[in-house]
Amino acid sequence: MSSVEVKEISVRAGNKTLISEVTLAFEPGTWSTIIGPNGAGKTTLVETIAGLRRPSHGSVSILGEALTDMSERERALRVALVPQHPVVPSGMSVYDYVALGRVAHHGLFHSASTGDRAVVESVLERLSLVEFRERDVATLSGGERQRMVLARALTQSTMVVVLDEPITGLDLRHQMDMLELMKSEVHECGLTVVATLHDLTLAGQFADRLVLLDRGEVVLDGPAPTVIRSDELATRYGMNLRVVDVDGADVVVPVRHGDNVNGA
Amino acid sequence: MGIVAVGTVIALAAAIICGLVIGPTSIPTWRVVGDIFAHVGIGHDTLTSTQSTVVWTLRAPRMVIGLLAGSMLAVAGGSYQGVFRNPLADPYLLGVASGAGLGATFAIIDISHGNVTPTWTPLLAFVGALGAVTVTWLIGGRSMRANTATLILAGVAVASLLTSAQTFLLQQSSAESITLVYLWLLGTLSNAGWSTVWLVMPYVIVCIIICVGAGRALDVMSVGEEESRSLGVPVRRVRFVVIAASSLGTAAIVSAVGLIGFVGIIVPHIVRLLVGTSYRRILPISVVFGAAFLVFADTIARTVIAPSELPLGVVTALVGAPVFVIILSLRRPVAV
Repeated sequence: MSSVEVKEISVRAGNKTLISEVTLAFEPGTWSTIIGPNGAGKTTLVETIAGLRRPSHGSVSILGEALTDMSERERALRVALVPQHPVVPSGMSVYDYVALGRVAHHGLFHSASTGDRAVVESVLERLSLVEFRERDVATLSGGERQRMVLARALTQSTMVVVLDEPITGLDLRHQMDMLELMKSEVHECGLTVVATLHDLTLAGQFADRLVLLDRGEVVLDGPAPTVIRSDELATRYGMNLRVVDVDGADVVVPVRHGDNVNGA
Repeated sequence: MGIVAVGTVIALAAAIICGLVIGPTSIPTWRVVGDIFAHVGIGHDTLTSTQSTVVWTLRAPRMVIGLLAGSMLAVAGGSYQGVFRNPLADPYLLGVASGAGLGATFAIIDISHGNVTPTWTPLLAFVGALGAVTVTWLIGGRSMRANTATLILAGVAVASLLTSAQTFLLQQSSAESITLVYLWLLGTLSNAGWSTVWLVMPYVIVCIIICVGAGRALDVMSVGEEESRSLGVPVRRVRFVVIAASSLGTAAIVSAVGLIGFVGIIVPHIVRLLVGTSYRRILPISVVFGAAFLVFADTIARTVIAPSELPLGVVTALVGAPVFVIILSLRRPVAV
């Protein structure tokens, strides 16, 4: 059974159609990344998969169960979200922030159990956050903060994790670190990851599968190397793109219109 | 945290004793304390019958209504600050004050015309307060796309409308009613008897329990609506329940003692500066601290210019503002 099934969903905001009849299925242990130009509907799509938006048509199911039949709590036990612009509640400690991921497990009227605390500890350990546990969340650097948000999502112990532009604002090394961390979680825990990424090179290197979205519709869907090398990509972004092989990795390079580029 | 909790409980005990001991009739503290113990079955009565009347019929109900008002306003203010993620939120944010004010004005003007009895003032104030919040909620809180900003703006609109209606009524009425309405607006515990206590207590206790119980949900909600939903919190339901409980409790208090300002905003902030940003700590401590604070303030209000009284709302601000400023300058900046 697919872990996430998106069936013919359309999402509207007022008169505008943000997503139109999208059907996709995501398998356990795979990383899929949604790519596409600004305004393509990437964030809308992942927010719908995370249950934060209701589609006007169609349905999203996680492990065979429709999101609309679940309470907020039941949903939080099945899908976790790393938002694009996480709110950082200053004054809260890193430990307390990461432990918010366990709320769906112990409920709003009970304290965290020993088991809950053990999960938080192990995630802090895996993401090298132990030394920050007592720090005020507002004092972390960008990279530490993103790691902390990821930690909160992993603490939810869900099979499906949705990442919405998880590396925005990070420097190159922290971008790679963050994605490597997530990649190892996918391998070790058999997670299903659905992400959005702007960086096509990183998208191509980290995802098993790429879904190209444009104006709310799926234009291309396939293994990362195939999608990255497709002519359709340049057309949809409306620009010149070259794909260069660097030590076996596909690197997507934008090229200025009209310039003569040698060796591409 | 432990020290703060113990400190507030001691402050509460001190406030209760001050509320019972201090007054125009001088009664030794040990006699009052002895009689308190006698009332719970330890030792014998230590007061003469006159003293007993002064303490248990005049001072005690006033002190108890002070405790209830202080804890309710403080916890409602703290809950609102959590729900709206706004440090300026106070229990009157969604129109409770203006609704109660308009209701009370109606009643007071009619009393001076001899149409109704004084018991109408709390009733109409209560109805007005709940009516105003309900209208605010219907305008700004119901639709799926509504967020806390629309609710706050709806509150501003409703409050402006009701306040202007109240101003119009006052402008049409006699100078005597204006004075009475003005006194009511400043808030006082001086009219409180045991009947008021029994009337208000059930609402206040239930509402305080609900607000304090929502502490963990409010902690999660400090990461905003979308993220708290993704963490499994039914945000809209929590918001509705907390707003309903805070408003109901505040309406009950306002109808009994008028508009006592400043407690709902200052007490949770002082507590936050002392115990940190978790509502699981802020709310219960605010209940105790708010109760102590208001009883102290009332003791000052009724003794400084005795036999006359200072308006309680004036005292809460006069005492509260400097305390707040001192703690603010000593500790880290406020974060909600």
